[in-house]
Amino acid sequence: MNLEGQNLSPSLIASLSAFWAMVRKELIIMARYPVNFVASFGQVFLIVAVFTLGGSMFYRGVEGGSSGGNPSGVVVYGFMLYMFMGDTLWAIGYNVRHEQVQGTLEQLYLSPASKFANLVSRVANILIWTGLLTITASILMASMIGDLPVENIGLGLYVMAFSLAGTFGLGFAFAALTLYIKETAQTVANFLQFGLLVLCAYFFPFSALPDFVLPISKLIPLSYTVDAFRSTMMGFPPGFPELAPIGFEVVLVTVFGLVMPYLGYVLYRRAENHARRRGSLSAY
Amino acid sequence: MRLLNISRYPGQLVMDVVTPIVFASMPILLGRASGGANAEEVFAANTGTPNYVAYMLIGTSVFTIVSFAFWHMAYWLRWEQETGTLEVLYLAPTNRIWVAAGTALYSCLRSLLAATAVYLFGSLILQVTPFQGQVGLAFLFILVGLIPLYGMTLLYGAVILKVKEANALVNLMQWGVTFLMGVFFPVAIFPPLLKFLALLFPPTWMTNGVRSALLGIGYFFGEWYLDLAVLWAFLLVAPLFGYWVFSKTETSIRRNEGVGQY
Repeated sequence: MNLEGQNLSPSLIASLSAFWAMVRKELIIMARYPVNFVASFGQVFLIVAVFTLGGSMFYRGVEGGSSGGNPSGVVVYGFMLYMFMGDTLWAIGYNVRHEQVQGTLEQLYLSPASKFANLVSRVANILIWTGLLTITASILMASMIGDLPVENIGLGLYVMAFSLAGTFGLGFAFAALTLYIKETAQTVANFLQFGLLVLCAYFFPFSALPDFVLPISKLIPLSYTVDAFRSTMMGFPPGFPELAPIGFEVVLVTVFGLVMPYLGYVLYRRAENHARRRGSLSAY
Repeated sequence: MRLLNISRYPGQLVMDVVTPIVFASMPILLGRASGGANAEEVFAANTGTPNYVAYMLIGTSVFTIVSFAFWHMAYWLRWEQETGTLEVLYLAPTNRIWVAAGTALYSCLRSLLAATAVYLFGSLILQVTPFQGQVGLAFLFILVGLIPLYGMTLLYGAVILKVKEANALVNLMQWGVTFLMGVFFPVAIFPPLLKFLALLFPPTWMTNGVRSALLGIGYFFGEWYLDLAVLWAFLLVAPLFGYWVFSKTETSIRRNEGVGQY
């Protein structure tokens, strides 16, 4: 019996309904842990306070503030993208792993529900929760560091949307890797998160990176998303964008946002088929 | 047994060292970019030393010790709860304080090794001299601070027993501690009430003691022995207070739902 074949053309309403049910399941699980819910808010505020106060030791009390660009714009806009990158890398792969550990991943594959909707439902959760956290924390951060420049909102939102699409694609690819490497995924996610934190210069300008690190940063598409987004939102101050002309960066971010989700999903399906053939979907 | 376990995960041991260095590099790189040519001068005016790299590295190294203490103790309790062995421990003829002390000793060894590696590797990567000032005195501040620190983890253990959601609480605590102990900035910039709260927290005295011994930024009470005396006072009070709160919570839970429930 070809179950996949039967589900190739389900009605749109049925697909949306299944998708919504999956999103609701994720939201219900989140709501069942109120301490977690409140603590993650508090945690973000504290992270913001620690880094901004630490950075402020270099320009606090100086007439005219910072001498190297607008620290508020650099930090806050970088922070927005970092929140999504960190959560995506963790959440999608971690969710798949969690389903594996609790023994429900194999059951999900026996159900006739769309596998794509299953994966995307985890993104919806991140968009709602991380989006809320990011907006609140950014306001707090801007109030602590100083005036936040807000320019070119239209282009900024465009860059952000495609950056997030690309980041979610990375999340799918990482979920694929999780199916292969299992428990080691947590260490790899940690390592990637911290590596990208420095290489993509989320909290400081690229000019602060040592000379030997900059060429590596230029090889990572995420670096261009960070540079393009914050340069656009800051109104292209002198020296920004730092990695390439804005036209090139916008094209690159668009391609990244269009190709990466597709590529990530293809990789995920491959990993999933590999696991199903080997019978290792429920092994963890 | 725990040391043997962790030796099976070399990747985790590497991350123990990499993560704090990455944390410290964030304000260092942001500061270098935003402070420009006057970065050292402005930093010295705000903190008492122009050596901002060493200042941040000391902060992140002490933070490694503090963070590990809370993580290891909280996760040990939570793990025993989840695997169903916590109740069994209560039935064993061994005093629980020795079981907790074993976990604390493992945590101490791991965190001291990690913090030393963070400081040495961080100094090497970020090109500062690691051995400057009074190294012995700095180490003394760390050693004296360890006992009140682990005493405080008992308070935290009581919260874990009661609330149970260890992950969220440990994460929140980790950043709360980072904030209060002034990992990347002096607590002098806090408003009076927050500063008072920070000074009630032993790791704040550890961090400032180590920084003053190595970088000469100035002790809270002007002399090293006065600051050390405060840590000694914490050493006497914190473990007893922690144990008292932990015992009260434990008794209350055993009378009600029992320690096996999570």
